Amino acid sequence: MTGIFFDAVTLSFGKRKIFDNVTLKFDCRKIFGVTGANGSGKSTLLKLAGKILHPDSGTVNFPDNAQIAALSPEMKIYDALTAVENLKFFARLRGKILSDEKIFELGRRTGLDMKTFGNERTENFSTGMRQRLKFAILLAVDADIWLLDEPTANLDDTGRENFFAEIQAAKSEKIILLATNDVAEAQICDEIIRLPM
Amino acid sequence: MNKIIFLLTTGIVAAIIFFVPPIKGLGELAKIIFFHVPTAWVSVVAFFSSAFFASKFLRTNNFSFDELSARAAKLGFVFVLLSTISGAIFSKLTWGAYWNWDPRQTTIFVLILIYGAYLTLRAAITDEKIRAKVSAVYSLLSVLTVPFLVFVIPRMYFSLHPSPISSSGVEMDSEVVIVLVAAVVDATLIFVRLMRR
Amino acid sequence: MKLFGSRCDCVLAIVRKDFLLNLRRRATFAAMMMFALTTVASLSLSTGGAILDEKFLAAILWVVIFFAATAGLSGTFDDEAQAGTLSTLKLYGDAQAILFGKMFVSMLSLLALTIFILPIFCVLFDVNVEKIFLLLATILFGLIGLAAAGTLTAALTTSAKIKGGLFAILLFPVTLPIFLPAIRLTEISFTSAQVDSSLLVVIGAFDTILILASSILYDYL
Repeated sequence: MTGIFFDAVTLSFGKRKIFDNVTLKFDCRKIFGVTGANGSGKSTLLKLAGKILHPDSGTVNFPDNAQIAALSPEMKIYDALTAVENLKFFARLRGKILSDEKIFELGRRTGLDMKTFGNERTENFSTGMRQRLKFAILLAVDADIWLLDEPTANLDDTGRENFFAEIQAAKSEKIILLATNDVAEAQICDEIIRLPM
Repeated sequence: MNKIIFLLTTGIVAAIIFFVPPIKGLGELAKIIFFHVPTAWVSVVAFFSSAFFASKFLRTNNFSFDELSARAAKLGFVFVLLSTISGAIFSKLTWGAYWNWDPRQTTIFVLILIYGAYLTLRAAITDEKIRAKVSAVYSLLSVLTVPFLVFVIPRMYFSLHPSPISSSGVEMDSEVVIVLVAAVVDATLIFVRLMRR
Repeated sequence: MKLFGSRCDCVLAIVRKDFLLNLRRRATFAAMMMFALTTVASLSLSTGGAILDEKFLAAILWVVIFFAATAGLSGTFDDEAQAGTLSTLKLYGDAQAILFGKMFVSMLSLLALTIFILPIFCVLFDVNVEKIFLLLATILFGLIGLAAAGTLTAALTTSAKIKGGLFAILLFPVTLPIFLPAIRLTEISFTSAQVDSSLLVVIGAFDTILILASSILYDYL
């Protein structure tokens, strides 16, 4: 993994220009924090980095074989499926078959007790529990690029500690982008990009 | 270009009124055929132009092609309505009924439906980037139906339309053919002019 | 370039997931079935006792299938977009696998719809099916095209502001090359008339074109 390169990226929503001729580089083995006021384009920057959105002009490049995973409030999981079904489904989309042990391990790492909640439909989950499950999916998929949009919002203190530890542990072989305005989240970042309004 | 179109149109109108003999047994009003055939022709040309610009847009992501595609469709819609109405009047004079699902009437009716669907789709999407992509895809999808309809419809419906070139040779008088061809050229020029606006 | 096998696995995972969801949230599926039943019943009630010719019966069958299909398929992508799961699905799943997975699911629900409504239709309208295999082949071919065109159309209408009606408006012209021959073949299957097999070839060819076109065009969305 080398990095994600933004080359002269321009993007506007309607008449509002969010990015004008932006050139950036995100290297491997670092956590990049993206901060800025509401509406400054934090989430949009993450979407551009993951090629979920395409720029009006300019290019975004990363190695062809790099896989992307993301954690964002917009991206929901299936309410009518159980936690384990959700986990297995998304992992299988990336060609990964999860064993029971692996599922328990992921539950342990994200602080979601799979013995108790594994076979419960996620419609009965609290926001924090859903966030933990989404993080478990992220870990299960084990992609090269992580796009984290306010990953620890709605989490209790132990949950946050868990997440921070996992993100720190993963950074040695990944490119991690973290959009946040939270001080604690910003503290784990190695570099901060502040978006102008 | 405006001058050429003006002169040609005036010339054709004059020729239709003073020069072309009344069509046998149908009276003066049957000369609406000189309006019907060119508008029908343009509505088909506009349909394929719209699809052509749609494919250009998808390949280049250049929004001016989306505008051209939309404009061709809007013009095509006007022309197809004019053609259908004038055709219905001619049909009433010739065969005694405004509508009888003859193959060409069916085809042009499908064209109205496609144009209508395309323009409704455009009106239903507010995000201009999404609108451009989605309507281009629909334009190309709908164009695929044409060769099949041309093959299928004549097997379903009995035709009343005169075929201009039958086995015994050209049936129409030569001056009628000349004026008709001129009118078709004129209508095409008007379409091109309106596209360039 | 992803391996064909892993894509198939992805398609299967999506089919299985949608099957589970449909089983647990039956609303869409039930609406489609009840829609078909209501239209067949209302037509049968209002024409009660009258002797209808085969052409009319064939047309009724396909009109019912078409509108029930629009009720069932229009939410193929939009339901997920509303629930917020579409972006997750698109991020983790391969685009072509999603398209074909959804196409399979559409095909399966249309098959279930037809298995449900065809016997009811035949009983209520007292239809005498002379050529059962022709009828089944026609329906199968017709549904394949309907599922293919319906899936792409559902993807198009996902971002539209008005939903009601738009799906049917868009889908109808695109599926006409299926309906016209399918209605004729269905009519033939109700009578002892001679089979025009070239029409079946037309439907099959158009199905193939629709599947290929959907696959190519979906990448641009």
